[in-house]
Amino acid sequence: MNRWVRYLALGLLAWSAVTSAGQQMLMARVAMKSDLAMEYLRTAIEEHGYAVAHVQKCDSGLAGFGFHSDTYRVFFFGKLEEVRRISEKHPEFSAYLPLKIALEAEKDETLLAAVDPTTFERYYAKDRDMIIQFRRWKSDIRSIFAEVRKVAGDKVVQAFQP
Amino acid sequence: MLSRILFVVAGLLGFASAQAAPDGQALYIEHCAVCHQFAGAGGIGLPLAGKKFADYSDDYLFKTIRLGRPGRIMPAFEELSDAQVEAIVRFLRVRTGSKPAEYDPAPLGGDAARGKALYQKHCVACHAEDGLGAGKGTGVSVARKRSFLVMPAAIANPGFQRAASDAMIRQIITHGRPASGMPTFGKILSQQEITDVVAYVRELGKRVSPPEPIAPDEKPSHVYESPYDFETTVKNVKQALTGNNFRIFPDRFLEQGLTDEFSVNRRQVGIRFCNFNELYGMLNIEPRLGVVLPCRITILERPGGKVLLVVPNLRVESRWFNNDQLVRLWDHMEETFSEIIDEVTL
Repeated sequence: MNRWVRYLALGLLAWSAVTSAGQQMLMARVAMKSDLAMEYLRTAIEEHGYAVAHVQKCDSGLAGFGFHSDTYRVFFFGKLEEVRRISEKHPEFSAYLPLKIALEAEKDETLLAAVDPTTFERYYAKDRDMIIQFRRWKSDIRSIFAEVRKVAGDKVVQAFQP
Repeated sequence: MLSRILFVVAGLLGFASAQAAPDGQALYIEHCAVCHQFAGAGGIGLPLAGKKFADYSDDYLFKTIRLGRPGRIMPAFEELSDAQVEAIVRFLRVRTGSKPAEYDPAPLGGDAARGKALYQKHCVACHAEDGLGAGKGTGVSVARKRSFLVMPAAIANPGFQRAASDAMIRQIITHGRPASGMPTFGKILSQQEITDVVAYVRELGKRVSPPEPIAPDEKPSHVYESPYDFETTVKNVKQALTGNNFRIFPDRFLEQGLTDEFSVNRRQVGIRFCNFNELYGMLNIEPRLGVVLPCRITILERPGGKVLLVVPNLRVESRWFNNDQLVRLWDHMEETFSEIIDEVTL
């Protein structure tokens, strides 16, 4: 019986891969150069009560390889209490702590991206605290992106005047 | 009097309806600009500006937004209402100054066998044997080298196959896409030959197979118990990574940067590593990769001295990106990670 359930589940997954192109990513484009966006991102993260643990440079030599962007950073951020509590209760989740936001320059604009924390909900269906945590993180990341976007908002609207 | 009241009510309802109409520009900024850029110049996604919109029907644009491109980064915007998708289509029409093309949705009924030979001769160099496009990645951002124009379309992709009518594909083959480098075949091939190519494109669509699905219970990280103490485990991990040509970054404690250096738990450490050549290759395929970078094995000492290794499951992670190229690459990399852990825990 279990074998059939497993086949059915795999079949459904295969079907959904064909019919649906969903994604588990939170993203935002900011009409702002990356050096400035990095400053605003840091401020927005801190204003949401998180500490920026560190900023990882991922672009050493990227331009030399002929890429369009030569600024690529990953912001690691979190709250000590959350990291301690979750790594204690769910050591397997420490692979995803602290949280991350990737920042990529695209000429005069900047791209922000993060894994949607609610992607993990299905693995913690029985742990209500984790479900709440994932939703709170998602809400915070969206709000952080919105805050950085807000600073450059006027330029965005002007670019779309018909 | 009654007619006056009805007139005012009708007017108010009309006003309310106009006010409630979805704002295509706002929706574009919210959902599309992130990949296609504010001015449609393309980024992670393909450029939207240009004459090609004259070849698209509104139905094609609607379905493209709604269905996305499975396995090809562009997501399916299932959460948007029909009215919202239509508003984005209207906005794109205004911005590109294009009028919608009208196509008969009926199949053209060409001969796929004859079309195959023509496809092999004229199309395969750009669209590839399987119709999924030669080359890696999409768009024109960090993922593309500056010398590239745009990626040839993945014409076998299920999203494209469902969005494009036969007549639209025939139109594009006939007139080409000068802005993106696709030649005009109207003077090289007869209309019947082009119809045959369309039939073969449909055949390619039937052959596309998504990457192997993963089991629903497959977890996003692996946890292994180390037979060694904390220090020896850290040393073994570094040795194994070096032996597999990874560059190791300085250690970072899990809590580092979140508290002062005296309060950090030093028995929870992340060993971060990278192979830059492979990283740049992967960024070609998936520019958003930073959301899971850098590669890291986390080593935790638990109460009682048990040492755990926590490793991200690349098979699960790669499926977050709607990017089949990444999935296939990381399914392979997952095996490398597994071998490293074997070395460490033996």
